[in-house]
Amino acid sequence: MPRSYLDAPVPIAALATAPGEAAIALVRASGSDAIARAATCFSRPAALRSAVGRSILWGRFIHPRTGEEVDEVLVSVFRAPRSFTGEDAVEISCHGSPAVVRRVLEALEAAGFARALPGEFSFRAFANGKIDLVRSEAIMELVRARTEGARKDALKRLEGGLSRRIEAARAELLGLLAEAELRLDYAEEDGAPGEGPAQAAIAGLRNRLAALCATYRAGRLYREGLCVVLAGRANAGKSSLFNLLLREERSIVSPDAGTTRDYVEAGIELGGFPVSLVDTAGLREADSAVEAAGIERSLRLLSEADLVLYLADGSDPLSPDATDMGFLASRPDALPVWNKVDSPSCRSAPEGWLSVSAATGEGLSELVAALEARLLSLAGLDGGNAGDAAGQGIGAQRDEVRVACERQKALLDQAVAALDDAMCDLDAGAALDALALDLRDAADALGEISGEISAPEVLEAIFSRFCVGK
Amino acid sequence: MDYEAIVVGGGHAGIEAALALARLGRRTLLITQDPETIGRMSCNPAIGGLAKGNLVREVDALGGEMGRLIDASMIQYRVLNRSRGPAVRAPRAQADKARYANLARRAVESQTGLSLRMDTVVDLITDGRDARVEGVVTARGARIGARVVVLAAGTFMEGRLFIGSWSASGGRLGEPAAVGLGTALARRGFPVARLKTGTPARVAARSVDFSAMEEERGEPPESFSFSGVLVDRPSISCWVTYTNAETHRVIRENLGSSPLFGGAIVGRGPRYCPSIEDKVVRFPDRERHQIFVEPEGEYTDELYLNGLSSSLPEDVQARFIHTMRGLEEAELIRPGYAVEYDYLDPQGLKASLESKRLAGFFVAGQTNGTSGYEEAAAQGILAGINAARFLANEPPVLLSRADSYIGVLVDDLTTLGTKEPYRMFTSRAERRLALRCDTADRRLTPIGRDVGLVDDARWSRFVARAAAIEEAAALLCARRVSRTDALRDPVLAPHVGEPLAAALRDPRVAAGLEGAEGFAALVGSEAQGFSRDVLETAWLDARYSGYEEKEERLAGRFERSEGLRIPEDFDYRSVPGLSAEGREKLSAVRPLTLGQASRVSGLRKADAALLMVTLLRISRQA
Ligand SMILES: Nc1nc2c(ncn2[C@@H]2O[C@H](COP(=O)(O)OP(=O)(O)O)[C@@H](O)[C@H]2O)c(=O)[nH]1
Ligand SMILES: [Mg+2]
Repeated sequence: MPRSYLDAPVPIAALATAPGEAAIALVRASGSDAIARAATCFSRPAALRSAVGRSILWGRFIHPRTGEEVDEVLVSVFRAPRSFTGEDAVEISCHGSPAVVRRVLEALEAAGFARALPGEFSFRAFANGKIDLVRSEAIMELVRARTEGARKDALKRLEGGLSRRIEAARAELLGLLAEAELRLDYAEEDGAPGEGPAQAAIAGLRNRLAALCATYRAGRLYREGLCVVLAGRANAGKSSLFNLLLREERSIVSPDAGTTRDYVEAGIELGGFPVSLVDTAGLREADSAVEAAGIERSLRLLSEADLVLYLADGSDPLSPDATDMGFLASRPDALPVWNKVDSPSCRSAPEGWLSVSAATGEGLSELVAALEARLLSLAGLDGGNAGDAAGQGIGAQRDEVRVACERQKALLDQAVAALDDAMCDLDAGAALDALALDLRDAADALGEISGEISAPEVLEAIFSRFCVGK
Repeated sequence: MDYEAIVVGGGHAGIEAALALARLGRRTLLITQDPETIGRMSCNPAIGGLAKGNLVREVDALGGEMGRLIDASMIQYRVLNRSRGPAVRAPRAQADKARYANLARRAVESQTGLSLRMDTVVDLITDGRDARVEGVVTARGARIGARVVVLAAGTFMEGRLFIGSWSASGGRLGEPAAVGLGTALARRGFPVARLKTGTPARVAARSVDFSAMEEERGEPPESFSFSGVLVDRPSISCWVTYTNAETHRVIRENLGSSPLFGGAIVGRGPRYCPSIEDKVVRFPDRERHQIFVEPEGEYTDELYLNGLSSSLPEDVQARFIHTMRGLEEAELIRPGYAVEYDYLDPQGLKASLESKRLAGFFVAGQTNGTSGYEEAAAQGILAGINAARFLANEPPVLLSRADSYIGVLVDDLTTLGTKEPYRMFTSRAERRLALRCDTADRRLTPIGRDVGLVDDARWSRFVARAAAIEEAAALLCARRVSRTDALRDPVLAPHVGEPLAAALRDPRVAAGLEGAEGFAALVGSEAQGFSRDVLETAWLDARYSGYEEKEERLAGRFERSEGLRIPEDFDYRSVPGLSAEGREKLSAVRPLTLGQASRVSGLRKADAALLMVTLLRISRQA
């Protein structure tokens, strides 16, 4: 059975810097006996074994079985709990050639270190209480970030932006709950204040959480990316534009209609999002079974696309049927592009169409700008009216922290739903004991996001805020 | 063996434990320092209140005594928090202290199989290996054998009283402490620590000007006990007055002479019931604090000044009391004082209240770090039942957080321990809505019957009440909301065609109506044959069924990971990375589930997470 995060924590090691040629590479190793084990690969084992935490040793790295010298290295020593993982750990700075790194890792393996699973250092940091769940999730994302935007997004979460936001909301909620509980645990007859939590306070909190929920879409798009599909009649120039956007010859360009029989997909970055750009078979009556199948697949891709670029050949009249106007009528969200403006027979673009030339690159920067704007608006980041609650507050700015994973989103949704229930209770005049249940529901859901829930907190809050007891 | 069971202490825990043991047929000896003080109320003259009222009902439902004692000794009855919802509504009664204690003493003395001895226990007798308790040693040198011992010594173990700079050994003012036992237990390795509590001054009623205070009248009394006995008791008013700027000034200027602030007292006091000096210091912005002036009984002139607990010097107490309206001329009969005492860390107990280290040794009441008569009685009856079952070689009765406040209390104590006197609050219960006062019998009487504490008379009353509730509930299911109903009352419009039971889940429907009125308005004449309390329970069951489902779902959310079981013989050394401190705590408490473990007091979040990882690993391998 392959090793899992839940297995007994064995010592682990992995390359921490990007693979490939570089001046320096960093290999990280962690585990309860990591220092002693690493010492068996080091020219000065006694010095390493007795090194204090947060010190750096110079020496030679040696394969513990063959005695072969691997490299000259610097070893940084971290002692539990003052390390990233909370365990004893060493970081080995060696020369950055893949061959050296491979041999350092082999040496560590011989010393009993297992190869770390993806994100296993973060997982241990969480398990050892060094970081909360939200941060460990952010580290996982950081590791996997495909674009600059995704990286920045995850970094913000790692810095604790999202945790702080959720903690703040939760603290406020605990305050409301404490107020309610105070009234439940101290009798009105005994002079406990009479008013329950106010509708306005609950509504304010609810809206803030809902806005945070709305950022999920952007967070998800940064991580998972979007799908942009090129559509249009055969020979409109889709493959040419595809190649232009990719800046490399990927799709076969030919003057014969129907050359692209199946779809071609490539990854590019647009507006900070990882985008998978898809070139499809043209929309027309198929000449062959193979092409028909390709068209079939194109249609399915189109239905799943986040954005469709609809290309028309500007030198050819627009057709009113299923292609061109018909298609645009069925996909009003498609971005219409008027191609071949370099061609002398090209007519002027109709209202609302972007003019480009896939052959000369004319109009390309405008097209890219328009594409990026559309993607940002899809992610709810245009500050405008796109997306449900994204426009109001938190979701609106590009540089805001965002909810990134399904788990966080589901729990935030739960908290929002619970607060909706709470407002219904207030509206309907339900008793305070029922209302408190919904507030607790919301507080628990938020607590679960950062991985901590604790009922005694409410009493803590009561005791610290209110003068109680007669 | 001289006896089968020995109960140490004749307070509210000891009474329930001793009666339960004797009623279950065990030859029992109750040892008290003074039979005159059996059932004495050391502090406020009241039983019940929020969450505590529920505890009294639960003790009664199991077959205990407290409900019947207060029914026969109350001098004022009220239902608190009526408007804040059925889950938190609770009865409270002012008690005639002397009468309550007399009735308690009569219950003990008239119980067959229960003997009484005036003495002070100073040590335990154990077997050679210190694994089993075998009896007690008393101050007069007697060695009395028994296979189980229930310790319920209240605030008396190494008790010390404080008033200003005066301090003396004592359990209550004028009563000697139980000296020696706490020290002996500490020597035996029990984790003994100090707690503190306090009580206010008592003043003479004839010296008080009631016309300057607000009157607080009682309501028509109802019984705490499910026995259904009609309560025929007088109703005497309480009075309300307030502290003021002058009161606070006197207190502030004399903080230097307080043993609390001077450092003479090391034990932690209750934050929910702070002394007046605490309140003045911690909440400097409060202009006044409400003070309740409560009679201590029908035949005494003493009044209890609720909210004025203090250990300042007597002359300072008199001075700040005299600053308050109505109390300008008050004569102090007894001063307020603080008491500091030994308690045993309840994390050393199993959920049966039996010691984890010494078989047959049970601990209940304030000795476990709780405060309050009701909390004490609740532990007393459970300890008594389980001591009897221990003698019979039967598995202990374990109450869960889902079925009673007693379960919450015992789980909190045994897994969290406590650093301050522990009082029950409704917010400690995850399933507060399911633990209503009026459902205590449904939740616990079958258990009490099984155990053998609920006699035939109580049982047949329970069965009859349960059947009536079911019939009334059937009426709510049978009757459907009609168009005519909706025309009469528009909030019913969305519910046309639904059974009433379903429509009642909407809080808008029949808002503000009590059960009996609700039945009269919506069901009509068919509901006439039922008693008020039956209709109320059926009504609340229907009304809160939606919320209760939600509550259960919420509690279940915890239980998903909380429910991960920790093997009985689990070795915490097998959890890699667990801190030494965490390992020590967990090994001492030995929680049964991850949930209990995560509630162990002072356990780091990281340690809980590590434990979770290890447990998940085990469950994956299984
Ligand atoms: N003059 C001109 N010719 C173009 C342009 N874009 C594409 N073409 C030509 O149009 C033909 C069809 O191009 P292709 O990209 O294969 O079209 P597709 O069938 O839509 O993929 C090829 O001969 C291209 O060279 C353009 O912008 N200007
Ligand atoms: Mg093509």
